[in-house]
Amino acid sequence: MDASTENVSVVKQQEILKTKKLVRNKKIVSISLFIAPAFLIYLLYVVYPIFATLGYSFYQWDGTTEKTFVGLGNYAQLFKDAVFWTALKNNAWVVATSVFVQIPLGLIMALMLFAPIRGLRLLNSIYFLPFLMSTVAVGMLWVLMFDPMNGIVNVLINVFGFENVAWLSDEKTAMFAVLLVIVWQFAPFYMILFKAALVGISEELYEAAQIDGANAWQKFQNITIPLLMPTIVSSSILAIVGSLKAFDIFYIMTGGGPNGATELMGTYMFKQAFINFNMGYASAIAFIMFFIALIVTIVIQVLEHRRKQKGGYA
Amino acid sequence: MKKFLATLTASSMLLLAACGQEGEKSGASTSGGGGGSGDKVIEVWHIETGEREKYFENVATQFEKANPGTDIKLLRIPNDAFKQKLSVAMSGGNPPDVFQSWGGGWLKNFVEQGSVTDITEQVDAAQFHKNAIANTTFDDKVYGVPLGISTNLVFYNKEIFAKYNLEEPKTWDEFVNVIETLKKNDIIPLSLANKTKWPGAYYLMDITSRLAGPELFESAFKRTGRGFDDPAYVEAGKYIQDLVKMDAFNPGFNGLPYDEGGSRQLLYTGQAAMINTTNSFINNIRAEAPEFEEKLGFFPFPSLPGGKGEMTHVPANTGPVFSVSTKAEEPKLAAEFLNLMTTKENAQIYTDTTGSLTAVNDAAPNDETMKPIYDYLATATHMQMPYDQTLPPELAEVHKDTTQALFGLSMTPEEAAKQMEAKAKEMLDK
Repeated sequence: MDASTENVSVVKQQEILKTKKLVRNKKIVSISLFIAPAFLIYLLYVVYPIFATLGYSFYQWDGTTEKTFVGLGNYAQLFKDAVFWTALKNNAWVVATSVFVQIPLGLIMALMLFAPIRGLRLLNSIYFLPFLMSTVAVGMLWVLMFDPMNGIVNVLINVFGFENVAWLSDEKTAMFAVLLVIVWQFAPFYMILFKAALVGISEELYEAAQIDGANAWQKFQNITIPLLMPTIVSSSILAIVGSLKAFDIFYIMTGGGPNGATELMGTYMFKQAFINFNMGYASAIAFIMFFIALIVTIVIQVLEHRRKQKGGYA
Repeated sequence: MKKFLATLTASSMLLLAACGQEGEKSGASTSGGGGGSGDKVIEVWHIETGEREKYFENVATQFEKANPGTDIKLLRIPNDAFKQKLSVAMSGGNPPDVFQSWGGGWLKNFVEQGSVTDITEQVDAAQFHKNAIANTTFDDKVYGVPLGISTNLVFYNKEIFAKYNLEEPKTWDEFVNVIETLKKNDIIPLSLANKTKWPGAYYLMDITSRLAGPELFESAFKRTGRGFDDPAYVEAGKYIQDLVKMDAFNPGFNGLPYDEGGSRQLLYTGQAAMINTTNSFINNIRAEAPEFEEKLGFFPFPSLPGGKGEMTHVPANTGPVFSVSTKAEEPKLAAEFLNLMTTKENAQIYTDTTGSLTAVNDAAPNDETMKPIYDYLATATHMQMPYDQTLPPELAEVHKDTTQALFGLSMTPEEAAKQMEAKAKEMLDK
């Protein structure tokens, strides 16, 4: 081995490295080009508004005239604001109903669709129907159905001997009435998710379990549930984040009333922004909403990650 | 390549933005005037349905004929959503050229933001009822034309009153008697749809005016001595809760929306006998249940024992009021459109076809239902504009929220008055 051949090989190696780098650089350029349009839109329509909202929340501002900087004043006021805490509590109710009623109901409906019952297709359509309607239409429909005098819901409960209930007009029942509608409208969405996931579970696993002598419940508990876990987790994230942002159905059905009984962070933010013209204060509410949703999502993701590390199914 | 991408992104964004706007506009119903198409477009946002909407269409057609090359684009937005939609458009810097309001505090708020054009030069303030134009004039500058004016009355079903030998009550005791008799006969005495909160707020305003006269609100609003926690306000709250406790209203009124007609339906079907509301109710009747009009009677809100208010102290409303926004590209042309809408001839058509009163002078209604209301309004010595349209928006909201809570019996009159005064101190004492 003489020095010159060694030199040649070093040069060659360097050349190879160079071309590799070039190829890599080229790849980076082309990949970013592909990402760029979506990324720009994401930056403009998602990231920028979040930071702009944070910025506005430090000001007292009516939306058009000069802004006055108040630092954390809006947040200090917010934490003392009784309406905000009511709203937060109501949001918690929406979250709880979504996770503990809607998702299980969606799962049950999906399982029923796999059961050997006649007229499954019909059931499938019926279950899915509420989700297809626009929220405004659903809201109006139920406002009429909940009518304190002539609504069909009251006619129904009269049949069973109960007195008329002023569903949406009573502070004690309004929240429950709206939650009922939310479950009715959104459970089908989770049904579809679960149905898709159930199709993906291999029949062989059930056959193997059958041979081992497992009963229906054991099969459900040890095969279906674990394999559905990823879907349950993503449904929960969707349900929780969606519930924190809930607005439309409440706005249509109660407008946050009566007497603030169904006020949500979303409706309260809207009220502060576009009725009371407190843009800064509304921005503070909006940012808190974002912050809570972010924290909740992170917590769920971390829990899910841990579960996977422990050897759960991916 | 990069340049190409940049343009692509930029243009796709523009496209998206355009789509967004298009979508937003198609959300409300448009109705062109006479199908005129020109380069000068004046966009008008209003909330009226039925004959009133037809009136706007008629004026728009006239205007387009008189001014070739202009296009009046009328956009109707549902009443309950209108306030929010306009606020959003205003703060988003994309308001219509001409918009409807009720004058008063809500309009003033936009004036203070610099969003409304001063049209003092273009319009003749003297041709309007002085109380009405005062409601759109701030710092001696006119910011809107009051086309319509209305008053609040207790409307009732004459047939039901005749059946149970009831007479129009003039005093509170007589009023309570009427309520008791109706209840005994399984008829809802008073119909109310209070989800929207303003229908209930009328009661607080009327009762306070009968108790303490118009000076109380003036003084509380202008901060010249008395406040919203005045004993009369507390007493008014008690009167309201008395009515609620004697089951004078339909059940579940606090959740019924007004626009959808929950309270009017009860009247049309004879399930309820009375409603305390604005006379634009007649406009609703003509669109919804024309056969009901002949059964319709009215009386002013009854007097209260020991009250200082006179029967000539009348609750009134200006509306529709039209203003020009500062973002209007053709403010002069827009102001001319407002002038055409409020000429004496047109105002006469307005009052005759729509069953509403106009604030334009010397345009008295010809029809039998409206005439007595016009005469009643003509005798007024004082006109009380609704609180929620006079007060700044945030305080107006507190007023409506606390009144709804009074009706719901979830707040005592003392608490409501205290909460109202606390907010008033914060907003009005500057």
